[in-house]
Amino acid sequence: MLLIHCPYCEEDRPEVEFVYGGEAHIARPLDPAALSDEDWEHYLYIRRNPRGRHHERWRHTHGCGRFFNAVRDTVSDRFEQTYKAGEPRR
Amino acid sequence: MSEAIAIPALAVAGTDLALESQATTAAGVALTLEPPASRWSLRARTADALAAVIGRPVPARIGETRDGLACLGPDEWLADLPAGTVLPDGAGQPVSVVDISARGVVIRVEGAGAARTVASGCPLDVERFAVGRATRTVYETVEVILWRESETAFRVFVWRSFAPWLWHALKACERA
Repeated sequence: MLLIHCPYCEEDRPEVEFVYGGEAHIARPLDPAALSDEDWEHYLYIRRNPRGRHHERWRHTHGCGRFFNAVRDTVSDRFEQTYKAGEPRR
Repeated sequence: MSEAIAIPALAVAGTDLALESQATTAAGVALTLEPPASRWSLRARTADALAAVIGRPVPARIGETRDGLACLGPDEWLADLPAGTVLPDGAGQPVSVVDISARGVVIRVEGAGAARTVASGCPLDVERFAVGRATRTVYETVEVILWRESETAFRVFVWRSFAPWLWHALKACERA
């Protein structure tokens, strides 16, 4: 079983308690009406999908309930680190 | 023309669930449905803010329990208090105090084989889950709050509609 370190619980917890939340650090545009269709499409749908280090959001749904960010390797599925939501990109 | 709509009373006592207590088996596990209690979902930014409203000590670390209160998340607590206990509602304060006594039931897993029974369906490392800790987790596919009361006694909080299924899952794991 994959263990994920929850930065709020400060514990390694089983993967089934968590839900994946997509790529992290995507800021919502402050004024969506000012965006071109292309920029809006980019914000909504276009993701980096890297091979290797990936910054992503996870939620400890069946635990403390919190969203946090993780750096996971998309090739090995290894979690490099996790950190609280709102902290800068690592 | 209007007709009154009859709303069936919500059974709080847990007697609507056809769960019969199971005597201690050869595997050394007894399953019992705990009697109704006064249970509350508490939300606040800090433990101190909540303690000031409800006038009770509040555990600050996630997973800790103290005097019937369990810290479930950075801003969330569960209170499990004797039936009839009423907490101040904190009107006007930035807290949420919600009575959830009727929301769920508690199944007690007790006996020499209790830890093994819980571990059979729960992905947590139950051996390292110390006495006096409580956390939200899953049992088989059902979300539960697991509270370890002693080396050989666990309390499993579960939402009412999941309880019959969970009861049978616990029985199956106990026999396994």
